[in-house]
Amino acid sequence: MTHPTEGAQDDSEGNYARHVAMLRAQMERGIVGGNRECPYFPCHHPDQDCTFCFCPLYPCGDPLLGEYVVSQRTGGQVWSCQQCLWVHRGDVAASLYALMPELGPEGLDQGTRERLKGELEGKHRRRAKAIMVLGATSGAGKSLMVAALCRALRNRGLTVAPFKSQNMSLNSVVTEQGEEIARIQELQARAAGTRPRGELNPILLKPKGGVTSQIIVEGRPYKDCTVQEYYSDFVRNEAPAIISRNLERLLRSNDVVVIEGAGSPAEINLRGRDVANMYVAKLAHADCLLVVNVERGGAFAYAVGTLALLDEEEKRLFKGVIINNMCPGGGSLGPALEIIHTLTGVPMIGEVPHVPDLYLPMEDSMDLDHREEGEGGTVIAVVRLPMISNFTDLDALALEEGVRVAYVRSPAELEGADAIVLPGTKNTVQDLLWLHRSGMAAAIKERAGKVPILGICGGYQMLGRTISDVRGLEGGAPSEVEGLGLLDAATVFDAYAKRTVQVTGSLAEGGGEVRGYEIHMGRTEGRSPPLFLLAPDGRGEGAWDRERKVMGTYLHGAFDLPAFRRLFLSQAGRKDVVPGPSGDHDAQVEASLDRLAFEVEGHLDLDALLGGDARDG
Amino acid sequence: MPVTGKVMFQGVTSGAGKTTLTAALCRHLALQGREVVPFKAQNVSLNSFVTADGREIAIAQAYQAWACGLEPEADMNPVLVKPKGNGQCQIMLEGRPWRDLGPGEGGPEIIEGLRAHILEAFHRTALGRDAVVLEGMGSPVEMNLKERDVANMWLAKAVRSPVVLVADIEQGGAFAGLYGTYLLFDEEERDLLKGFIINRFRGDASILRTGIEELESRMEIPCLGVLPLVRFASPAEDSLSLSGGTGEKGEDDVRRFWMKELDRLLEGWEGAWNLDHILDLIDKV
Repeated sequence: MTHPTEGAQDDSEGNYARHVAMLRAQMERGIVGGNRECPYFPCHHPDQDCTFCFCPLYPCGDPLLGEYVVSQRTGGQVWSCQQCLWVHRGDVAASLYALMPELGPEGLDQGTRERLKGELEGKHRRRAKAIMVLGATSGAGKSLMVAALCRALRNRGLTVAPFKSQNMSLNSVVTEQGEEIARIQELQARAAGTRPRGELNPILLKPKGGVTSQIIVEGRPYKDCTVQEYYSDFVRNEAPAIISRNLERLLRSNDVVVIEGAGSPAEINLRGRDVANMYVAKLAHADCLLVVNVERGGAFAYAVGTLALLDEEEKRLFKGVIINNMCPGGGSLGPALEIIHTLTGVPMIGEVPHVPDLYLPMEDSMDLDHREEGEGGTVIAVVRLPMISNFTDLDALALEEGVRVAYVRSPAELEGADAIVLPGTKNTVQDLLWLHRSGMAAAIKERAGKVPILGICGGYQMLGRTISDVRGLEGGAPSEVEGLGLLDAATVFDAYAKRTVQVTGSLAEGGGEVRGYEIHMGRTEGRSPPLFLLAPDGRGEGAWDRERKVMGTYLHGAFDLPAFRRLFLSQAGRKDVVPGPSGDHDAQVEASLDRLAFEVEGHLDLDALLGGDARDG
Repeated sequence: MPVTGKVMFQGVTSGAGKTTLTAALCRHLALQGREVVPFKAQNVSLNSFVTADGREIAIAQAYQAWACGLEPEADMNPVLVKPKGNGQCQIMLEGRPWRDLGPGEGGPEIIEGLRAHILEAFHRTALGRDAVVLEGMGSPVEMNLKERDVANMWLAKAVRSPVVLVADIEQGGAFAGLYGTYLLFDEEERDLLKGFIINRFRGDASILRTGIEELESRMEIPCLGVLPLVRFASPAEDSLSLSGGTGEKGEDDVRRFWMKELDRLLEGWEGAWNLDHILDLIDKV
């Protein structure tokens, strides 16, 4: 089978008749999608549609789609559409196929071609609108914002592709074609409903340790180079062509390209050498959005400072500032935000909340919910209560060789743990309700007697039978909540009084000095033997049910001195199992992308972003 | 009586490294034989410590006190805010529970009351000491909170303390964060701002040179340090920065371990910050 468009630039009479025959053959063949049997496939990109290998609209004369070039054969002007990807889009091909009239022996006359093209233009952009998401810092939430926009736009029936000119990441995946791209671009492609491929992330830097990185170009290993060589040679001489050919192809084959920047666009020490931010924005004439993470504070400063350090031409591309990761259900930053507009001329377009519990592969290991301290085979699972407090108590455990402290929040993560700690909390009642709701309570109970379980302060209170907050001091309304029932003890909150005291003492079983401090409201009484004996009078503190391997204490800092640390660890055996979540991966990712897109769209004016009906930008 | 010297570290963000810088400078001054004390007007933290007289303060200030060779005292952290969820906070004043506040309940009279307590505590704690190293809170230019500021520029103005601004470069955007903070300061605040520090830098600092020069000229203050990232153990202040220790194991008392780690940090920072300039700021009272 030959490639049907060979000689397409030859617009002689005989050639045209041959094309009419091919056009008729195409219509009989129907919609074929990507023609993988063609030896030239993919002649443009792996996601192309081959229904109209030869374009019925040829020659359209539209400068957005092609250009006149000098014919090598005749020396005259001839229409070249070699770079046109419009009819190779699945949605455009389907529309055109539906619109095509019966073909006479002459094919389509010019009037018919113009009418058809006009109708297609009413439905599809000839060149994509470019939206670019830039961050004031790394980790501002650019990647997920791009994924959210891709999914929201796809949900509107638009053909969307994500793009990031240069990514530095060790988290890469291999596509169907064997191309390597950053994992996050694969996720964004999935959100956009397009095939993951090298052109979405044409330059991928993989740090190899030291100052050397491997450069992956269009999904294939290209070469290794140092940071110095990268900026002085590669960025200057090779990156521009790589970036522009991939970006251009995407702009020609989609309705919207959602571009992601890298790090901050205002790294003024890199002026002229940054090909991941404003360089791409200018190339794509993109509408730029600045995403500022509010979580660590300084959002006002980052928004104002980033824009103030850009030049006028760059600043003009910005259409809005987005404050990201707002506390869900919390308030707005309010009228004070207006100062960003006043100082920079760029309006605020949204405050987007943090979307909790997304099941998505993360770019960096910034996820504190699953973070681990120390290295080694004995895994101490610390339940990451929503209102966790005084977790410095656990720092000292990592002083011991072979101990790993893992903060966990799902039952699956408890599997394989050698010991469980329920830490302190600022709100015992609410966090206890969370334990029950999340299934953690049942999972912890199931482990009793098998691995040691220690409750500290609020965690100690939770281990008992009940917690009575008779005056509503903790939860707002008076309540009595059922504890885990692992210790024969009950806690009562009956006064707005707080015990704050430093104490010293020893292990109740003898030997070993203990030091700590108590900070708590409420009193706990029970029948288990005490864990510690406190100075000066040998008063018993805490509880230890040896049979169930359950311990409780009010003492913060109890691990600071070695005696209790070692007693607790002696109760925990060694293991080398790494706990992790389970379940249907793909379904969870899809559901998370939908939820993310829904939340983001609810807090941004997407129609305004798309710029009304300015179809071809 | 000699006048007490002061310097205040403010951060572009939470977690910029104010707490550590404060502890490190305290340790450095204490090792030089100077009587130095830490002060943080207000801390929002769920990690606290109890002093010998039964007062509750943030563990970060206890840590800084140990760096000074002092026992922690309530005056080093007169206001401790402990979030309870649902927008409710317990306010500890002078280390004792004072009252709970809900969202929007921190009205002007409450702020005025806190400010008075803070100034009293500051003066008590500064009395007879050579120097106070003050730590700000979060970003000093949260414009929605500025009227209710009790720990940043309000305090720096009230006690006439020079200010050094710290930015964490690990996440990028440090130049923007520093410059934006400066742009949002008023004239009087810019007068108090005497320098900036870039924290947690990895690699060859010469790559930052042109950017630092541009910023120095835009802000008209010097860069007082590009501090290399040193992984070291310290008590975690809040749940956004759970600490990670990589130091020597086998130490018995975690407080001694933390001090050893702080000494290791000071070694790692040797020559990376302009301590002479910072000491000049303190002594120029």
